[in-house]
Amino acid sequence: MSEAGLKDIQIPSGKTGSTKAYHDLRSFLATLEAEGQLVRVKDEVDPEEIGAAGRASANLKNGPAVLFEKVKGYANPVVTNVHGSWANHALMMGMDKDTPVKEQFLELSRRWDLYPVGPKRVTNAPVNENTVTENINIFDIISLYRINTYDSGCFLSKACIVSADPEDPTSYGKTNLGTYRMQVKGKDKLGIQALPFHDIGLQLSKAEALNQPVPIAICLGCDPITTFMASTPIRYDQSEYDYVGALNNGVPMEITKSATLGLEIPAGCEICIEGYIEPRLRECEGPFGEFPGSYSGARLQAVVRITAISYRTNPVFENLYLGIPWSEIDYLMALNTSVPLYKMLKDTFPEVQAVNAMYTHGIGVIVSTKVRFGGFGKAVAMRLLTTPHGMAYNKIIIVVDEYVDPFNLEQVMWAMTTRVDPDKDVSIIKNCPGMPLDPSSNPPGMHNKLIIDATTPKAPEVVSRETELLTPPAGTEKWEGIIAQLVKAARK
Amino acid sequence: MICPRCDTDKVELMAKSPVGNAWEMYICKTCTYSWRSTETPNKTDPKLYNAKFKIKPESIPSMLVIPPVPPLKG
Repeated sequence: MSEAGLKDIQIPSGKTGSTKAYHDLRSFLATLEAEGQLVRVKDEVDPEEIGAAGRASANLKNGPAVLFEKVKGYANPVVTNVHGSWANHALMMGMDKDTPVKEQFLELSRRWDLYPVGPKRVTNAPVNENTVTENINIFDIISLYRINTYDSGCFLSKACIVSADPEDPTSYGKTNLGTYRMQVKGKDKLGIQALPFHDIGLQLSKAEALNQPVPIAICLGCDPITTFMASTPIRYDQSEYDYVGALNNGVPMEITKSATLGLEIPAGCEICIEGYIEPRLRECEGPFGEFPGSYSGARLQAVVRITAISYRTNPVFENLYLGIPWSEIDYLMALNTSVPLYKMLKDTFPEVQAVNAMYTHGIGVIVSTKVRFGGFGKAVAMRLLTTPHGMAYNKIIIVVDEYVDPFNLEQVMWAMTTRVDPDKDVSIIKNCPGMPLDPSSNPPGMHNKLIIDATTPKAPEVVSRETELLTPPAGTEKWEGIIAQLVKAARK
Repeated sequence: MICPRCDTDKVELMAKSPVGNAWEMYICKTCTYSWRSTETPNKTDPKLYNAKFKIKPESIPSMLVIPPVPPLKG
């Protein structure tokens, strides 16, 4: 990109405290910048420094997004850590950047119930301003880089991938939007990790049984809620696009047809790579530094052939760093893992109060629930293990009473230390589905599960002695106010 | 040229920097490892590549297949 071209990527000015829905990445970057949650690196950087900057920003409390204007040898800019703090997460939802996590959970839960909010179909989307179908070279358009030292190459770590059901290709509901890691293997070739329990794994299996390719559209740099939704577990026949409208508080998402394959894609994306997953082909892929904080192994995985790349003029490449939690990816699988699991549990057990599944995409989960009778907490945990996401991901489940805030780990530890009798309250369920990227999964994809019932025993379970909870002494609330005032005065 | 990871010589030029002559990227056709000419020697030099991440070419066919390839219908 020329100097003049760089000026063209000036992002529009944002509004502090805006509750608007974002239809593209650039308008969200503008808000982040206005709120002090985006910084620009104007000097040229080596491509392999970008991963380190992503790690560094995630190490900061409320770390900002980092926009690299000049990347050595490349034409276009890169942005990372866009979702990488609770402040950015709140701004994504149009909330104040200081909103506490539990309030963000409750707001997300409220908006979740607005589903479905159908999309608005638009033409002349900016992503279709430029389309390349011959002599494709991904490096000409995307400023690719290695994220972690022993990754097997450059990876797309934040792509929103659109794919249709091979048996029902015109089904809007069965069209999938998901984030799957992609290794760059050539100017027009990618590797893709499609795990069997992922929606795209199901679609690939159906197509491969018929020896057919799977058409896909790989969208980079989408609006922030679309990217968030692409990593949210929902039912196979539910539409991610209809959820984007819901999570944007009822504002319909804008979608458009991809330039050559006609798949319906997010209209606001910066770049759309179209192509096919080749049927019945596997090739060495990985390792890749993954969300559990360790490298995956090298495996034989599926291959994508690129047939077209469309892009906004001067496209911004959005990618994320992932490493030992917490890093940017953890914010993209925290509350959007918690809320759907909460809804699924609540549907069966209205007694459930909240679910905190923020730990490593729900490998660790804390559920707070009212307890109707003995063994109820354990039964709630067993239900979690039969949900589509929980079946593979949830491994360690802690159940606490309804008055314990599952987002307050000090309270959770209190419940664990004072409610659990290890002899009867700890259960191991053997030989269940597991998350293969968890390095303790053995063989990869299988796991034993741990349930810790930290609720207070109820009949007919033997209640050896009654537990009378302490309550705050009379006047506590008044004294909270007095002490807060005194602290404020002392700090003046 | 030798692949830093699997030590075979089936290496191809994958890309040249689109702006200036800043770097080239290479890819190994055996293990699909790729690297940029400007990266540090622990990523580009077969002798300095971390032994824990080396791959033996003969081990590739027996790697775990994800997802499994289903039987053909009909």
